[in-house]
Amino acid sequence: MWEFLTEVIRKTVSGFGERMAAFGPNILAMLVILAGGLVIAGSLHVALKLVLPRLGFDRFAQRLGLELILRKGGITRPASAAVAVVLAWAVLALFVLLAIGALNLEFAMDLVSRTFTYLPQVLIAVALLALGGLVSAFLRRSVLITAVNAGLPSARLLAGAVHTALMVLFVAMALEHLGVGRQVILASFTILFGGAVLAVSLAFGLAGRDLAREFLERLVRRPPEEKRDELHHL
Amino acid sequence: MTVAVRLPAAAEARLAELGTVDVLIGIPSFNNARTIGHVVRAAAAGLAKHFPDARSVIVNSDGGSKDGTAEVVAAAEFTSPATILVSHPLSAVHKIVTPYDGIPGKGSAFRTIFAIAARLEAKACAVVDADLRSITPGWIELLLGPVLKESFDFVAPLYLRHKYDGTITNSIVYPMTRALYGKEVRQPIGGDFGFSGRLARHYLTKPVWESNVARFGIDIWMTSTAIADEFKVCEAFLGAKIHDAKDPGADLAAMFVQVVSSVFDLMGTYRERWTAVAGAEDVPLFGFPHGVGLEPVSVNVERMIGIFRQGASDLREVWQKALPEDTLAEVVAVAEAESRPFHFPDPTWVRVVYDFAVAYERRVLPPEQLLGSMVPLYLGRTASFVIQTAESGPDQVEAVVKGLADEYLRHKGYLVRRWGHEPGGAPCGSS
Repeated sequence: MWEFLTEVIRKTVSGFGERMAAFGPNILAMLVILAGGLVIAGSLHVALKLVLPRLGFDRFAQRLGLELILRKGGITRPASAAVAVVLAWAVLALFVLLAIGALNLEFAMDLVSRTFTYLPQVLIAVALLALGGLVSAFLRRSVLITAVNAGLPSARLLAGAVHTALMVLFVAMALEHLGVGRQVILASFTILFGGAVLAVSLAFGLAGRDLAREFLERLVRRPPEEKRDELHHL
Repeated sequence: MTVAVRLPAAAEARLAELGTVDVLIGIPSFNNARTIGHVVRAAAAGLAKHFPDARSVIVNSDGGSKDGTAEVVAAAEFTSPATILVSHPLSAVHKIVTPYDGIPGKGSAFRTIFAIAARLEAKACAVVDADLRSITPGWIELLLGPVLKESFDFVAPLYLRHKYDGTITNSIVYPMTRALYGKEVRQPIGGDFGFSGRLARHYLTKPVWESNVARFGIDIWMTSTAIADEFKVCEAFLGAKIHDAKDPGADLAAMFVQVVSSVFDLMGTYRERWTAVAGAEDVPLFGFPHGVGLEPVSVNVERMIGIFRQGASDLREVWQKALPEDTLAEVVAVAEAESRPFHFPDPTWVRVVYDFAVAYERRVLPPEQLLGSMVPLYLGRTASFVIQTAESGPDQVEAVVKGLADEYLRHKGYLVRRWGHEPGGAPCGSS
């Protein structure tokens, strides 16, 4: 009985030892890759923080309105520092994936393979969001300036509406690209948009009946002549 | 080095036929059939009356008119029985009618005129707008005479205008040009100029014919180039300038952006020159300044102030990109002041313009957005000017405009310091 027990323990220990001997290099490789990733990501972070400001990236970001977007998102550090952090983390994430892959486990290989298949979609979604931020900020400012110059009293509201509508559109496009709950997004977008139009219609037609009548009358009737400037500016 | 300008074969043949001329009148046009006949006849009468011995040519540089402008010029009769001339020309006034090549715009039309002037070795040239209703033969003498008889290179026009006309000129273009380049040219974007053949050839050497100068900035470019490159400059009093009726709903913002961007672009080009200039001097004036009754001009001041105040509330985030904190605070204080009458002080306005010039140079925003956001400020300043001069006569109004121009001079040090990337600077003369 004792001999049998000893034999079982011996086989278990030697089996574990063999498995460890076979798997050890993988763990070692994982640790090396992780360490390498940490060093490379850290170096990249430091290098970008030093180089980007010297290349005038912060001024460029300020001109594009990127700094304003970051500030609105609660990020007070310079745009170059934010980009350095994001890129460093992206590089580190890549090395983590490689490290997991080094374990040569079935689930790990599957995870790595699926992540790499999905990565282009993520990058495109991020690019779409960045483009949306830039385009909507640019158009918001254009609409605001034009509306103020035209003397429209609700210039900010109009500009804000354009900004929000564009951002919603770009976020929906990004999510659609990621394939996250396609049906849910489509349904939500339709419900929200339809709901907004219905709410405005009801508010305008019921609560603002008099206003609606005035508005329609103004559309149909010739507007009273506003006193026009006759001065030549040039 | 003069860059060759491509001319149509018919124009080339006409140039070969003419050989050389003494004087040239250029008329850029685009759909001006209604008025150009009068302009051509006035120019021809002026040449015949005042320069009867000179070999002369009238050049119409057309931008592809569809209303028969070119045909009107070609058919214009110079020897109308109704025209009474004291002197009769010894040689006929010739005509060249040609489409111009290049980007559509007044600048491209002028380039063709300069090229023809260079090819014909013209000694003196003048350009006049094709939509003028008030041009007389006397204008030709005033624009060409100083060049031919007094050896000036550039003759800027001086018009008689209503006190509320030319507000962009009065509040930005004139005082900026004076402060930057040091010459008292009252209407730098007048549109009708005289210039020497030497200056025409100089203009052709500049690499600006694919830029906004070719589209819309030619007037201020000609004036600034003549002054900055140290040509001999004078003014000629032409009397009232009356155009063909224009669209009253023309977009102020677009026009404002075009004019102000032209001035600011030139600041980048001539930086070395204007930073070295201190003070301003008068230039000789030809002609006989006189006053005539001008029709009253209606101005909606409340609307202007309303847009300015809305700008101060809604555009602050945009203005922050151009204006330093103290200037912005002053502007906001002007907008929020309850006191009557509304007043936009000269020093504040001058700093606003200089700060926007610096922001434009640094490209803190796209030019259309940056200068578009300046329109409410301009309207606020214009409203203040209209209120301030409501009861004033022409001389008092001119004194107000001169006062503003002097303020631009006093603050030039502020501009130079900010342009040189210093965050701020006190006005010249202040401690």
